[in-house]
Amino acid sequence: MLGQRLLPWDYGVRNLFRRPSRSLLTLGGLAVVVLLVLVVVGFIRGLEKSLAASGSPSVVLVYSLASAADIENSSIPASTAALLSASVEGVRRSFGEEHVSPELYLGTRVKAASMAQPGLGLVRGVTTSAPLVRGSVQLIEGSWPATGEVMVGRLAYSKLGAPHADLAVGESVEFDGRSWRISGRFAAAGSAFESEIWAPLPDLQTALRRQDLSLVAVGMQSPDRVADVDLFCRERVDLELKAVAESAYYASLQRHYRPVRMLGWAVVALVAGSGVFAGLNTMYGAVVGRVRELATLQALGFRRRALLLTLVQEATLLACGAGLVACVAGLVLVDGMAVRFTMGAFALRVDSVAIAIGCVVAALLGVVGAIPPAIKAMRLPVVDAIKAV
Amino acid sequence: MKLRISLTLVAAAAVPFATGCGSASNASTQSAKPAASIDGDQFLLADEPGGAVGVIEARENTSDGDEVVLVGRIGGAADPWIEGRAAFTLLDPSMAVVDESAGMGEGQLCTADCCATERQACTALVKFVDGSGALVRVGARELLGVEQGDMVVVRGTAKRDDSGNFQLLATGLHARN
Repeated sequence: MLGQRLLPWDYGVRNLFRRPSRSLLTLGGLAVVVLLVLVVVGFIRGLEKSLAASGSPSVVLVYSLASAADIENSSIPASTAALLSASVEGVRRSFGEEHVSPELYLGTRVKAASMAQPGLGLVRGVTTSAPLVRGSVQLIEGSWPATGEVMVGRLAYSKLGAPHADLAVGESVEFDGRSWRISGRFAAAGSAFESEIWAPLPDLQTALRRQDLSLVAVGMQSPDRVADVDLFCRERVDLELKAVAESAYYASLQRHYRPVRMLGWAVVALVAGSGVFAGLNTMYGAVVGRVRELATLQALGFRRRALLLTLVQEATLLACGAGLVACVAGLVLVDGMAVRFTMGAFALRVDSVAIAIGCVVAALLGVVGAIPPAIKAMRLPVVDAIKAV
Repeated sequence: MKLRISLTLVAAAAVPFATGCGSASNASTQSAKPAASIDGDQFLLADEPGGAVGVIEARENTSDGDEVVLVGRIGGAADPWIEGRAAFTLLDPSMAVVDESAGMGEGQLCTADCCATERQACTALVKFVDGSGALVRVGARELLGVEQGDMVVVRGTAKRDDSGNFQLLATGLHARN
């Protein structure tokens, strides 16, 4: 087919500049469609990344059997951490320290300096063992919290609905009747910890008048050793403990959010579909206005296939240009934007998958949007088309 | 020909965008499973041992170190298996596991938290141990070819403590079905 007499490549390109306003409007419309697709895909990818990055296969969470897998409801004796250290083999050790992290975890009202009303925040009481078990946690600013201090995840402000500046190092937050100075900020490789506030465990227990723990996180020498903690919990049924690999715990949360992800993909399909219709509408207008020109080209000897190809070429060029604009805008404006959700907060991720989907959608918009109006224009008899006004 | 070259160039230019610049690598979350290198036949009994008692009766009448033959159904928990270890929970044969929403009658329990106390009284942890008394580090399903819900008779030694925890250190299993 391409061996036939075709219109020059430049012809299609020049045509785009003959009607700059129409071309720019079409480009803008298609770019918005692709950008919307990128936002939705970025949302899904960010949510998946947040939950996937939160779980390590070598870390096991031990919490109350009666908590129905909701760690916030869990209450276990403070002695559990020492009991696990003494009873379970295969616990990882570094620098003479066992990777056993006793933690108190709760959702509570937290008020930052400029907030009129407190927001719902996630607070975790930890010891210095926590970073041994949560290997992804990195202090990016300030220092580890001392008495009366907390350190905040880099997305904690989003979870609270507070301005970013309110959770800067040196500022204070209030929760559970106390004021806590922010001593540092931490990142955690995009995991759910980034939306949390970490306080020293003894301080938090004192503030809450609690002596118990919510959970103990234990780092094992290998994923295979997680079974040993599970075995201990089933042997000691009197303790009413449950052991779940951290990766399995967050995988169950991923299943919980599956309907949200499915809805997201449905939105991607709907947005792309609406973009195709918008493209069709634009291309119908563009082709109808060029019926005489196309008929003249046919009269000059160009075959209908050649004209169809040049119309598809124009539309695809425009759509791919719009895709590039949208990808750049997505990377600059959307990537990394914090979004609040029930589990905390996560960052939208315009990653390679999102970019690939955006480019494919853009190319499809061009090809699929151009073919129907082009076919319609080609069906007109040449004589009638030349007379068309 | 010119158009063909141009289309090829456009396709080539699109490749970097399809590839993108982000990293899609995710740490593997699959745990390594050891191969079943131990012969499970040594634990399988061709004939059913006599004098089998249910889990409830054994919990009430046996002492630490007693030789016991237990009969029961593999289950009594949402997941009765210990991954990569020859161990499972055994439910007394008089009890039946029903759906949480169905409502519990006499001799019935569910695997949710509401029946945690009842489950404690009618289930036992069965661990298969080798000649040295160490737990076999192969999953029970691979080692013994049993499945959840199977009615089995297990021979072994009772292990219990002052807190009321009861286990069976098993050396032989006979599957009834």
